[in-house]
Amino acid sequence: MMNSVRCAAAMLALLAAPAALAGGNVDAGRLKANTCMGCHGIPGYNNAYPTYRVPKLGGQPPEYLAAALKAYKSGERPHKTMQAQATSLSEQDIADIAAYLAGSPAQP
Amino acid sequence: MKTSSMKSAHRFVAVLLLGAALPALAEPMVTPQQVTVCAACHGADGKAVQPIYPHLAGQYANYLAQALKEYRAGTRKNPIMTAQATSLTDEDIEQLAAYFSAQPGPLYTPNVHGK
Repeated sequence: MMNSVRCAAAMLALLAAPAALAGGNVDAGRLKANTCMGCHGIPGYNNAYPTYRVPKLGGQPPEYLAAALKAYKSGERPHKTMQAQATSLSEQDIADIAAYLAGSPAQP
Repeated sequence: MKTSSMKSAHRFVAVLLLGAALPALAEPMVTPQQVTVCAACHGADGKAVQPIYPHLAGQYANYLAQALKEYRAGTRKNPIMTAQATSLTDEDIEQLAAYFSAQPGPLYTPNVHGK
């Protein structure tokens, strides 16, 4: 009885883990997120035409960051530069970048 | 004569400064009515209740306003957000963006040199 409960729990955990973490690798994400920093790593950096500040990404949940990149990739979110960046990203790239940015080091 | 014109110049500058400061004093941060709707997902304090939703607290106000305008225009596609944004006026958007931007929150700019 206990064994089957444990087995069921393990199977559930296996099923749940990829959905929750999406296999994001922080170290891989650090390298892949290099390009992002050109805009998102500069406090108060402005988007041009229209002018608004490039959003802060540090501290956002990785799930949201991944969803945002996927929406740029699919064209659901309109931003030429972001679409161009996201179009070449694989699912793994997106998961890695999201995992890194969510907990990335802050400005000193 | 010279002293008098200096004085009036000073007075003029003082009035200008007062004029610049007053609007900030006259308009304290009001909680926009629509915040309760946003709060269902983004939290009343702008901290998201589920990780699929972004935190809004401390985010740049003009970015938040841009996002709402894109949802309203339909250029940014999300069924939930589009439904919320269609009825918002420009003034609503400015107020909501200012409100959430002013909340303390976990967001920050990542450090390019960080490890």
